[in-house]
Amino acid sequence: MRTYLVAATLLVSADALAQPVEVTPVPATDQPAPAVAPTAAPTPPSGELLEVAGRVIDKFGQPIRNAKVGMEGFDAQVKTDRGGRFVLEARVGATLIIEKDGLEVGLALVNGPVLDDTVLLDLDTVGEQIEVQGEAPIAAPGAAIVDRKELQRIPGTGGDIVKALTIMPGVVNLQIPLGYSGVVIRGSSPQDSKILVDDFEIPVLFHNIGFRAVLPAESIASLEYIPGGFDVSFGRASSGIVELTTRAGDEKASEQAEISVIDGGLLVQGSIGKKTRYMFGFRRSLIDLILPQIIPASLDLSLTTVPSYYDEQFRIDHVLNDRWKLTLSSVGTIDTFELYATKDTEAKSKRFFNRTAFARVTGAAKYHEGPWSANLALSGLVSQFVFEFGEYQKIHITQPTITPRAELIHTDKEALGLKNVEWRLGGDSQIGRSYIDLALPRERREGDTQQARDPRDITRTFSGKIWLPDFAQWASIAANLDPKIRFTGGMRLDEIGRTGEVAIQPRGKLEVKLTPTLTARLSEGAYRRPPEFQSEVLTSNLNSERSTQSIIGLGYEPREGTRVQGSLYYTDRSNLITTNADGSIGNNGRGKTYGAEMLATYRSGPWFGWLSYSYSHSTRVDQPGEAERLFSYDQPHSLNAAASWQKGRWQLGGRFQVYSGLPYTPAKSAVFDNDRNLYIPIYDATNSARAPIHHQLDLRVDYSWHSGPVAMTAFLDVQNVYLNESVVTYFYSYDYSQKAAFKSLPIIPSIGLRGVL
Amino acid sequence: MKLALLAVLLAACTGDVDPKWQLDHDRIVAVRATPPHIPSGATSQLDLLLAMKGAGTSSAVPDRAIVVSPMLLADALTGNTVTAPSQDRLAEVRTELGLAATDPVPLQLGIASGTLTAVKTVYLGDSADNPALVNVTFDGTQPADGDILTVPAGTDVHMSVDASDATMIINWLSSCGTMHDFDLHNAYIHVQPGDPQSGELVLTVRDLVGGVSWEIWPIAATPTPTP
Repeated sequence: MRTYLVAATLLVSADALAQPVEVTPVPATDQPAPAVAPTAAPTPPSGELLEVAGRVIDKFGQPIRNAKVGMEGFDAQVKTDRGGRFVLEARVGATLIIEKDGLEVGLALVNGPVLDDTVLLDLDTVGEQIEVQGEAPIAAPGAAIVDRKELQRIPGTGGDIVKALTIMPGVVNLQIPLGYSGVVIRGSSPQDSKILVDDFEIPVLFHNIGFRAVLPAESIASLEYIPGGFDVSFGRASSGIVELTTRAGDEKASEQAEISVIDGGLLVQGSIGKKTRYMFGFRRSLIDLILPQIIPASLDLSLTTVPSYYDEQFRIDHVLNDRWKLTLSSVGTIDTFELYATKDTEAKSKRFFNRTAFARVTGAAKYHEGPWSANLALSGLVSQFVFEFGEYQKIHITQPTITPRAELIHTDKEALGLKNVEWRLGGDSQIGRSYIDLALPRERREGDTQQARDPRDITRTFSGKIWLPDFAQWASIAANLDPKIRFTGGMRLDEIGRTGEVAIQPRGKLEVKLTPTLTARLSEGAYRRPPEFQSEVLTSNLNSERSTQSIIGLGYEPREGTRVQGSLYYTDRSNLITTNADGSIGNNGRGKTYGAEMLATYRSGPWFGWLSYSYSHSTRVDQPGEAERLFSYDQPHSLNAAASWQKGRWQLGGRFQVYSGLPYTPAKSAVFDNDRNLYIPIYDATNSARAPIHHQLDLRVDYSWHSGPVAMTAFLDVQNVYLNESVVTYFYSYDYSQKAAFKSLPIIPSIGLRGVL
Repeated sequence: MKLALLAVLLAACTGDVDPKWQLDHDRIVAVRATPPHIPSGATSQLDLLLAMKGAGTSSAVPDRAIVVSPMLLADALTGNTVTAPSQDRLAEVRTELGLAATDPVPLQLGIASGTLTAVKTVYLGDSADNPALVNVTFDGTQPADGDILTVPAGTDVHMSVDASDATMIINWLSSCGTMHDFDLHNAYIHVQPGDPQSGELVLTVRDLVGGVSWEIWPIAATPTPTP
């Protein structure tokens, strides 16, 4: 969704469509400066005379220096500077011709003071379709895109996606991953945000053991982070979106292996002929081979199935012709472990078993011809979740889901009196069948306090099958109201088939180019999160959780590779699903979040820098008349500063992070329940205390060399180098009379080795 | 379920708090009603097993007991004695609580001993005794009343009781050494040099319908014989 298809024969960006009129070129300079040098024109000018700025890039998104830019029918030309930029005066509608030796000629039509990037393709690739990634404009105020190489440069992440996400402003940071998806955005709850891989949701993001993402960074092309204000093509989320785009195989065949203490993986990629590329990846945990050796014999523990995981990814891209491009991709994982909290493996009451597995296979087709584009996809998901705890408590869920999705896009130079109009119409059906067998205590929801574990408590039981059909349709229009102002408005309609709920969600965005380097963005929209989290599917009268998001942001790009952006947001939440006094769940909660975020990125030569800060305040009321309280993931302050330097064989990096601790609910006392042999805690006000602030410094060193034909890279990534052993959260003794801190590890070294053949 | 996993991890990080088997800790270990199920007109006596840090473990009577629910039967408790009301009265309460005609009526009591509090259920309208401690063995032999149990230091010493882990709640608690599998019918104790070298061993067995029994033994470590 966030890649840009560029046909070699159509080098004009979709937004740059207008009527051809006169251009007045200016001489080239290294530092482009506007100049007026009128020349004889064959026809009189008809459009508004503008100072026009643009940029010329190659198929990899790199700027092209000394490309010649001139007006169609005129001899005068300017040259691009080292950033690929040019400035000249032209009238709206003029056609620019862009030339560079060895590259195909490019065209750009003047539609405003700032033109979209023009891509010049290699002469030998004309006729192919090239995906240009990483140069797309951000999707919403506060959004950011990071490509694989940058993800892998961030210190303190071990190259892992889950940990890399924590550098994003607005992502709640903690020493361990949070919740099911591993990401909490703008202080809400993990289930409020979606993690998508190639446009489709995956059920889990990280493994139980090692807290590693199920997708290695090597199989990812880019990560797009949209903390809010996402467009109508995204849905079923009331907070933010994280979209991972898998990596298409390179043209050149290569095999690579990577190994660390946690796991090892292989990735092969290449092309078959000129039209087909492939990428296959496989990863297996290694810590399961090490763990039995390092667990002390004195521990009352039997690892009958040592924690292990297997991950697979593949992607095959085929260019059918100059209009159609096909993709078949898959991502999957299986994660298993079984342990007994005793050496007696006959003691079923002390058994813990978990298996999480899923496989998603997606076939997609992209069509592009003239003003028409279409994205078609059919995705199938099979997921299994098995959890058994002791003799009585269990949950077995198997859920196949099929999701057809289609989106049609049409662009017009002019329509309805508007310019550069883009129409989108799309829909999907997410049809799942859930086979559920569960026997569990009453579930713990956001803000609910931790109760003593009663191994015989199976208050919640269900055995049966449930259809989960969700349908969505969306339509949007984007257009220039003015050469500097672009508006996007749309409507999304979600139908939750199980409950019959129909949710109408209007969304809009306004983008104003205040100057060629400064852009203001405003976004307002309605969002829904369907009642499909935990056991919500077992309650038929629940409605979706609602949010209304308002965001205003400024983006400043003074030069290629440097971006500073800031945003203010307010999210109003209603219909929050909360626990009622009788133990049932209902839509009685409401809440709000407001905050500010700042992100500055710098990419130049050997340097890569990242600075992000977020302030957030997130509160809710669970039942009418109850007191307002903090969300469990309210994190007022989070700061990340990272820098990386690469020269020759060496790459060095550091990252400093400091963030507020999360709220918790202190226990005041407890009453002993003799019949169940456990203590019933009596808590203070919900989330009325907070864990201390955490700060740490991470360092990373990469060294690359060649061993014969193999390009080798070794890295050492050390988290928390100055041994700040801070509190993650607190836990209580069995009778709640003693409180102890669960602390982060004082230092986490990670060593890895990668070889590419 | 990630939270469940976290709970398991946290459970493994309990170095800073007393483990549940630690008897050297202020606590009510168990509250007993003898008998726990009584028919109309019969009485049941309350007592409790109290552990106090540094002061050992002993049976005691509650400082105070009150009826928590149902309040219709508030007069069924006098001091530490529960008296089951007439069958007609119990029938009324069953109707009030939505119980079947043959169901025993649960009388939930609040118990206090100093600042320690507990809740305990006594069942009215039927008859049952507290569970028996059957075939208790320590280091392969059945300890007699008054025996001082001895544990060779640095050695795993096993103990067991005939009871099902699935249908009974079994706890072995100690103020000497380190207990392993304290909540299984087969457990063992290990005394290291740094552990307390003497104290008490307590076995509690609960059924799932309010019955509880316990036994207390003195226990001490002995030096491991030098070969």
